Amino acid sequence: MRTPRLAAIAFAAVAALSLAACSGGNSAAPSGSAGTSGGSLVVDSGFTIETTDPGHTYDPTGNMVAKALYETLVDFQGSDVSTPIPGLASWTQNDAATEFTFTLEDGRTFSDGNPITADDVVFTMDRVKGMTEAKPNFLLTGITVSKVDDKTVTFASEVPLLQLPAILANPALGIVNSKVVQENGGSTTGTDSAQSYLDGASAGSGPFVLESLDLTSQIVLTKNPKYNGDEAAAYDRVVIRNVSESATQQINLRGGDTMVALDLNGDQVSELGTDFTVDSVPSGQTIFLLVNQDPAVGGITSNVDFASAVRSALDYDALLELAGSGAAQATGVIPPGFLGALETGTKQDLAASKAALAKSGYDGSTVKLQYPNDYPVGGVEFTPLAERVQSQLQAAGINVELAPAPFATELDSYVGGKEAFSMWFWGPDYADSANFLPFAPGLKVGLRAGWTADKNSTIAGLATAAQTSTDETERKANFTAFAKAMQESGPFVPMIVPGSNIATAKSVTGAVYNSVWTMDLAELKPAS
Amino acid sequence: MTLPRTQKTSRAPGERPAGDPPAGRSRPRRTSPLLGYLLRRLGTSVLLLLGVTIVTFALTNLVPGNPVAAALGEGAASNPETVAAYVKRYGLDQPLPVQYLTYLGNLLQGDLGRSLATGRPVTTDLATAIPATLEIAVLTIIVSLLVATVLGTVAAYRRGMVTDQVVRVVSLVGLSLPTFWLALVSFNFFFLQLRVVPGSGRLTATLTPPPTVTGLFTVDFLLNGDGVGFVDALAHLTLPVFVLSLFTVGLLTRFIRTSVLEVLGSDYVRAARAKGLSPMRIVFDYVLRGASLPILTIVGIAFGALLSGTVLVESVFAWPGLGTYAYNAARNLDLPGIMGVGLVVGFIYLGLNFIVDLLYGLLDPRVRLA
Amino acid sequence: MTATAARPSNSRGPRVRAPRGGRLRLPAVWRTPLAIVGAVIALAWVVVAFTAPLWVPYPPDAQMLPRLLPPGTDGAILGTDALGRDLFSRLMSGAGVTIPLSLMLVAASVVIGTVIGASAGYFGKWVDEVLMRITDLFMAFPTVILAMVVAASLGPSLFNAVIAAIVVSWPQYARVTRSLVLGLRGQNYVIAGRLLGHSPLRSLLADIAPNITGPVVVLAALDIGSAILLLSGLSFLGLGAQPPTAEWGSMISSALQNFDAWWIGLFPGLAILTVVMAFNFIGDSLRDALDPSSRTERAASGVVAAPKTEDEALKGTGASA
Repeated sequence: MRTPRLAAIAFAAVAALSLAACSGGNSAAPSGSAGTSGGSLVVDSGFTIETTDPGHTYDPTGNMVAKALYETLVDFQGSDVSTPIPGLASWTQNDAATEFTFTLEDGRTFSDGNPITADDVVFTMDRVKGMTEAKPNFLLTGITVSKVDDKTVTFASEVPLLQLPAILANPALGIVNSKVVQENGGSTTGTDSAQSYLDGASAGSGPFVLESLDLTSQIVLTKNPKYNGDEAAAYDRVVIRNVSESATQQINLRGGDTMVALDLNGDQVSELGTDFTVDSVPSGQTIFLLVNQDPAVGGITSNVDFASAVRSALDYDALLELAGSGAAQATGVIPPGFLGALETGTKQDLAASKAALAKSGYDGSTVKLQYPNDYPVGGVEFTPLAERVQSQLQAAGINVELAPAPFATELDSYVGGKEAFSMWFWGPDYADSANFLPFAPGLKVGLRAGWTADKNSTIAGLATAAQTSTDETERKANFTAFAKAMQESGPFVPMIVPGSNIATAKSVTGAVYNSVWTMDLAELKPAS
Repeated sequence: MTLPRTQKTSRAPGERPAGDPPAGRSRPRRTSPLLGYLLRRLGTSVLLLLGVTIVTFALTNLVPGNPVAAALGEGAASNPETVAAYVKRYGLDQPLPVQYLTYLGNLLQGDLGRSLATGRPVTTDLATAIPATLEIAVLTIIVSLLVATVLGTVAAYRRGMVTDQVVRVVSLVGLSLPTFWLALVSFNFFFLQLRVVPGSGRLTATLTPPPTVTGLFTVDFLLNGDGVGFVDALAHLTLPVFVLSLFTVGLLTRFIRTSVLEVLGSDYVRAARAKGLSPMRIVFDYVLRGASLPILTIVGIAFGALLSGTVLVESVFAWPGLGTYAYNAARNLDLPGIMGVGLVVGFIYLGLNFIVDLLYGLLDPRVRLA
Repeated sequence: MTATAARPSNSRGPRVRAPRGGRLRLPAVWRTPLAIVGAVIALAWVVVAFTAPLWVPYPPDAQMLPRLLPPGTDGAILGTDALGRDLFSRLMSGAGVTIPLSLMLVAASVVIGTVIGASAGYFGKWVDEVLMRITDLFMAFPTVILAMVVAASLGPSLFNAVIAAIVVSWPQYARVTRSLVLGLRGQNYVIAGRLLGHSPLRSLLADIAPNITGPVVVLAALDIGSAILLLSGLSFLGLGAQPPTAEWGSMISSALQNFDAWWIGLFPGLAILTVVMAFNFIGDSLRDALDPSSRTERAASGVVAAPKTEDEALKGTGASA
């Protein structure tokens, strides 16, 4: 008697709940479609950003946002980062490439309407130089900036610095409104405290201004109404969302929830089909293997012969298969597209590998391969790549055990040169081949492989020659010679240059990858 | 069969606790046992929170990595000057005990430090992450409690029958689901295939979040009178709440069934039945009211379990909550971030237990206040 | 959690040393359909776990097939993953990774938890106070977050994930054991034993241990499922099994990268579901027989148990059987 009534109540309760769930679900359609109309752009990206203060910016998301909020003296066109073009200023240089004179474009203003002057440029540079704990601080090491007149500034360096224009294109050196920043704690003496202000508002001249910043969820930009350059924004509002899983980005894109996805890998791009536009180009990043040359760290593998054995043991096409569209084989430490890059890369040659392995004195013991496992580069996950490298080396008689760790844990021992055999990546801080010289013996990356200058003075000499060249043709020849020598007798095994895939819905055009700032948001336009 | 000590907690309304002597108490009552008990509990809770900070601090300092390198990135980490400035700024050059004491001192002033990963004060980070997670957790608890109460009560009434068995299997299957897997599968199915729910995040990107009052988007939209925003925020909650509810329903149903069974066996329910009261009245006025205290406790436990469950689910739905924050902090060796999460979660856990105990102390005279 | 409900049964008259009756009930447990289904599935998985290497078609790590083959093509029953490995072979080999480790970790938690709980309950006073505050401390963390911090501190590996899981699972056993020992310590036969000059160790092992086995076994049986979920969850986050190990949780996490290849994630998830379900069926049937009011489980999770009614008290100890 009593149970049927109870069941009826139970049924009613469940029905009410499911009704509530349904109404919640149905509502999704109208609000979702509201996103595609109007002047809003939605971009999905895995956040690396820490601040919207350009002076502290040193990561892909941060660079993209800084590029939209601030303007740099030097610019690049689209994805071509080999030729710097005038941005806020045009320049001339002396023959020794030690002094550069920049002249500001006329009539340009900040978002508050005030004109951009030489004082703003000098303040911007000196502020970054003063903040020793700021990540981009090293960009200006050894450079002196001085004002000539209201429109003119000189940059001077003790050593030849042909790459200076490329350095100044880094969004971290975007010109800030010195008056506004100083009013909010800005200073050039190292006591700068303007970051918290700049995390809430922007003080630049870029096509956008900052509406809100939430480092964990989203960044909202709105059109800068005072912008008077030639790259005005086509959208009134841009929302950049933090979606760390690339699969979720892909699903959001396919479901119409977002319009641009920045971190898709090759497989995910090929699943998209024809309803989307994909811009796939090799990124500037190189994924490589490192063989430590310090016997105290590397033991029996600490010689270049072991590196050679590994280099000829790999089947690069099979590795490329994992990286998907847009990726290319790394032909050397200088990736394709940069000055001095080699034309062709190493081919698999198991006989040569065997010979080199015998020479290296490798005794068949198991070698640990260390790598960061939570930091995909250009959508390429390190784990499957390492698994394939392991299986290929196994076939060549080298026993490998994988030892992944989170990026945060792994980085310290890599930077400290404490890894015997590891997989890492290297990308340019600014768009110039000088960025790849640190692979040389005795320099930053070389030392991470325990490769001191005395271990190969020839290559060290080639690097110095490339660094100090003042003539473009000679410079190219020097870089090529350096890259070639590195492939023949270096401790590094460059493997692949991942593609960078920017996938957009058909309603958006103009998305182009740039290795310095990922994507220029002002170049995106609604499809007509 | 006599039941000399029936459920005190579950006595029917109007019944007075007629001088039932407290059982099993080893010490005599003091003048104000409740106050003394409260103070003791408060003291223990503070000690436990202190313990939480010590454990987290010790654990994170065991890590082989170097938080400075992690925070600066590979370029800047090679620059000794930058590293030195950074170390000094965050006081990382001090000996560990000094660092810990500094942390405690700041903590007393409500300062949880600055996150090494985000560069913002941990309190600011947590202020946005906590409501995001609470919104899921509270809604999940409400939904699960409703469903589980119905299922558990029905199962108890039909003890041993087919319905009971079906409910039992359903709740066991719910407990066996890997939530991270379910989140993936259901996201793919309901969003990508059926398009009945919106995508990831808390809100459709083109909408502006409501002005912050409570931090719960649904509530804030309502307070702001924004119907469109409210519906959108609610729609975004549907899938995470659904996924987490399956597990929570499984957890709650079993306990509720048992609690209801206990009450059903009690004298006063039998008396009520004998009096011929309507079954509905018995269910609501006697049975559920009687079982409410144990249920309340279980809800507290389920809430703690939910905070764990969200870690695995939030990343799938790109939900900027406590779980995502904890995961990122742990990955980035962000000591202040991890400590902040540990403290908050410990605080919530202890707070819940405290409230539950308090209710017991107030409502059930037989609870030993020792 | 110091407020535990008084147990009326404790102060009641002499009780026979009946709790061994739990063992007598076991055969009946195995006759319920739920237990049979659970036992069959669990047994099947255990057999797979130990024999899989002998009969799977491919080595689990061999990248011999084309990438991302759908199920049923080219002899790959369940398809292949993003590296061209046979999913069926990996799935079956995965059982040998997860199941034995989960059993081991539950066993270790039981040992640690009961030793600590029994010491606290038996010795009382400051020993109890200190041990239980430590227990509370570990329970004040949500399991996944604590396990995450532990696994991240020790470095990600399957072994460390097991350690992390033990760190978060032992407290429940400590709690249950303590409350059971507290109840038994005042029993006449235990007091009698002590008067006869039994050492604390002998008293615990001979007089008390047999009476706490039943409830602890129930709890452990129910915990195997959670252990598998926790381990695979940690692997899902990248804190457990390391590549190329075929582990179900990490297989699901690799499926995140290839959404359209639904088979990569679906099957490992189903594998986890079935094996956890099987152990939960068994555990629940055991509980039904040995602890019908889930008192043990509630004590373990910190729920203040409702006072026993007499008929249930009798059932709980098996005296009415």
